[in-house]
Amino acid sequence: MSLFGASIRRKEDPRLLRGDGRYLSDIKLHGLVHAVFVRSPHAHALIRGIDSSAAAADPRVVSIITAEDLPAGLPPLPCIDAEETTKPFNQPILASAKVRFVGEPVALLVVEGDRYIAEDIAGLIEVVYEPLPAVSTASAALAPDAPLVHFESNVVDVLEYSLGDADSALAAAPRTLSERFVTQRYAGTPLETRGVIVEWDELRQGLTMWSSTQVPHSLKATLVGYLGLPENAVRVIAPDVGGAFGVKLQPYPEEVVLGLASRQIGRPIKWVEDRYEHFLASTHGREQYHDVDVGYDDDGRILAIRDHAVTNTGAYLQRLTLVEPFVGVSMLSGPYVIEHQQLLSTVVMTNTTPLNPFRGVGHVQAAFTMERIIDLVAAAVGIDPGEVRKRNMFSKDVFPLHRGIGNVLAGEIIYDSGDYPECLNRALAAAEWDEFRGEQQRARDEGRYLGIGIGFFVEETGLGPYESGRVRVEPSGQVIVFTGACSSGQGHDTVLAQITADELGVEFDDIVVVHGDTDLVASGVGTYASRSAPIGGTAVRHAAGSIKEQAIKIAAEMLEASPQDLELVGGEVRVKGSPTSSVSLAQVAGRVAPGQPLPEGVDNYTLDATDIYHPPTNTFSYGCHVATVEVDIETGVVTLLRHVVVNDSGTLINPLLVDGQVQGGVALGIGGALLEEIAYSDDGQPLNANFMDYLVPAIGNMPEMVVEHMVVPTPLNADGMKGAGEGGAVGAPAAIANAVADALLPLGAKITETPLGPETVYRALQNAS
Amino acid sequence: MSDHDVTISVNGLERSDSVPARLTLADFLRERLDLTATHLACEHGVCGACTVLVDGETARACLLLTVQADGSEITTLEGLTAGDELGPIEQAFWAKHGMQCGFCTPGFVMTISELLDDNPSPTREEIIEGLGGNLCRCTGYVKIVEAVEEAVSLRGGGA
Repeated sequence: MSLFGASIRRKEDPRLLRGDGRYLSDIKLHGLVHAVFVRSPHAHALIRGIDSSAAAADPRVVSIITAEDLPAGLPPLPCIDAEETTKPFNQPILASAKVRFVGEPVALLVVEGDRYIAEDIAGLIEVVYEPLPAVSTASAALAPDAPLVHFESNVVDVLEYSLGDADSALAAAPRTLSERFVTQRYAGTPLETRGVIVEWDELRQGLTMWSSTQVPHSLKATLVGYLGLPENAVRVIAPDVGGAFGVKLQPYPEEVVLGLASRQIGRPIKWVEDRYEHFLASTHGREQYHDVDVGYDDDGRILAIRDHAVTNTGAYLQRLTLVEPFVGVSMLSGPYVIEHQQLLSTVVMTNTTPLNPFRGVGHVQAAFTMERIIDLVAAAVGIDPGEVRKRNMFSKDVFPLHRGIGNVLAGEIIYDSGDYPECLNRALAAAEWDEFRGEQQRARDEGRYLGIGIGFFVEETGLGPYESGRVRVEPSGQVIVFTGACSSGQGHDTVLAQITADELGVEFDDIVVVHGDTDLVASGVGTYASRSAPIGGTAVRHAAGSIKEQAIKIAAEMLEASPQDLELVGGEVRVKGSPTSSVSLAQVAGRVAPGQPLPEGVDNYTLDATDIYHPPTNTFSYGCHVATVEVDIETGVVTLLRHVVVNDSGTLINPLLVDGQVQGGVALGIGGALLEEIAYSDDGQPLNANFMDYLVPAIGNMPEMVVEHMVVPTPLNADGMKGAGEGGAVGAPAAIANAVADALLPLGAKITETPLGPETVYRALQNAS
Repeated sequence: MSDHDVTISVNGLERSDSVPARLTLADFLRERLDLTATHLACEHGVCGACTVLVDGETARACLLLTVQADGSEITTLEGLTAGDELGPIEQAFWAKHGMQCGFCTPGFVMTISELLDDNPSPTREEIIEGLGGNLCRCTGYVKIVEAVEEAVSLRGGGA
């Protein structure tokens, strides 16, 4: 039986379970010195001076680096999705004249000793600030007299998309509704914070940087550029990464400063973020509100939508900051046919930590907004919410579907495959939708408020531009797979080995997967946007296919047969119809080992193949979540009862691991729906930058969970794979919010924002008419 | 700041050292003894990633000072099962996909080991109650619960 599609145990786990994981902070080097960053305590201030004389007098200090000590003209890190119209409000490597958010790095201190000593001495560095008025919310930043984060305006850009004629269609619509839907700021908060170890090698005139990152190759390119070093002088290694979720998907200013410092100091430096620092200095996500006008008819058909979304992107543009604003509107209509759309997305700067994509970027807000709209329409026309969805959905016959509106990173939105109505039907059946209505009524008769809600989403996954895959067979029979994808816990080693084993028929245990090291993997992009299976996996599939061709060519001479008569089965090349006449892949690799003449027509002393796979466009996964909840109307507490997901991420390499991705995503979505919010005071002071006050879901917050898979393979890659990593996080907040609204429908409470903590729900009940 | 002499039994080995009063037990284990399975994720006692056994009871190594552990017996993940073997809890995590990035896993395994020592056949509710102080950001906990149930069965507990 092929391992492809099988729920097998992971290659990664025994090592980690023995305590032999090697995460960033586990790495020790001889002569290591320790770094801390001095960060702004002000949300907005001028830097009037930095006096580090007291600190510098301490003999344990190795180096203090401020903006003045950096090479002149060092540019800020780029925002690679900036439009021509986007104002270039990028973050300096270290703040010089001005700080714009609490946590912005101002100086680097490196000491002999340990982190305790580094933090002691950091307290002696005196930065003289002149505080300025600050602004922390988008609404406040848009006010006419708002403090300015950068220059003449706090608006970085306004993105516009339109389809049809929304104004006319809205004017002509039999019914309309207008509402504001608010998604709060929250963040990935992986259990392992960021961290860096960097070692300068005098002999090589270069450096090795270990970083807890999703993108080692991007980080390498950044260091090559900022340090002016040749490619061969920079090696980046992502060791075991303890979760990432998008928070680690860009090179950060700290990595550049540490790279520069290592050359100056000539000794290995270690910096590990603490949790408070992580909340301030690692990127956040989401914070976006949508002001919508919707036109619909008495049958619940949505005729037109006008959406003005506003995103609070924080103090600076990061590498991919604009994804949140443009996906938030581009993907608004999700699975629904809406002929007239006018979408505006305003990007606003405030004195808060910058935004960058994290798990479900933009799609979460889009699904929350759209799915709440559908339920409001359903309630207004008195038709079942499931039925209203069916009436508005694209049928399964429309693919490939050119949406004709908006864009995602790779350009035009073209839905590749799916069957949305079937997905909805299956989710409603699994959730026992109709039966629940009876239960709900019985509960209401007892004064208890149960609710059920749907969260349907379509999600762009498998983002390009490319990923690398390389397969090499050793004469021992070992198969080494190199990938540019970079695991932060997803199980790359396992699934890429499954693909390779499937293509070559070799033993799973004979395969080793190498990733996260730029010296071992020549090129790569990294792991984000649910891309590692559809893009990285396809590259590996192609590379293994090339190995197959090469092996047959080499074996032709060994078996004295023509290549057309040979096949690769079970790790052996054999003559079709004559299975006893065969050579193993190991023997084939041995035949092209150096030190002997090559077979005729073969020109490589290796059994090794590389594929760089550029997907033609993105794959669009989708899914339907159905949540059931109970709301305590005295306290506003929402209790989750059950959460059903029917998910289509195309072909499954390992269902066990995909279940894990969906379940983990749902947990993150539950956090967003009920618990998590990064809070700031009006003047930009963080209010809950720790795990005591910022609540991530614990085991007791989890409902019973049911995950089912639909498999509609994409035609865009060989195995029909779409991305599976984020959908859990995308659909959950919409489903839970709809369930809460459904529970409170008889009481008239308006549910238009997340997180739905007790206070928010209680207020909604108080304000109910 | 003068250092303090401590003698602590760690995974069955007696370790003597001289440490600053402020050195946390977690940093002592990780930095002085190279026992890096004890992970630090919040350093304020919330997430449970640094959970170890102190005299057989779970404790957060980030909130204990090394000097407080003087004279005690500490078990970390490295010492939970002898040699390279996986114990029943670790095997169960492997079998049930109870982990993804693995950063929280040592803390969970230590907590579960105490839980099952105290109650070899917990109900699902007791499992959830028992693991309430450990955070995982990857799995959504579903497969962690399944792993505990599997561990119960591998240890020969349960019905």
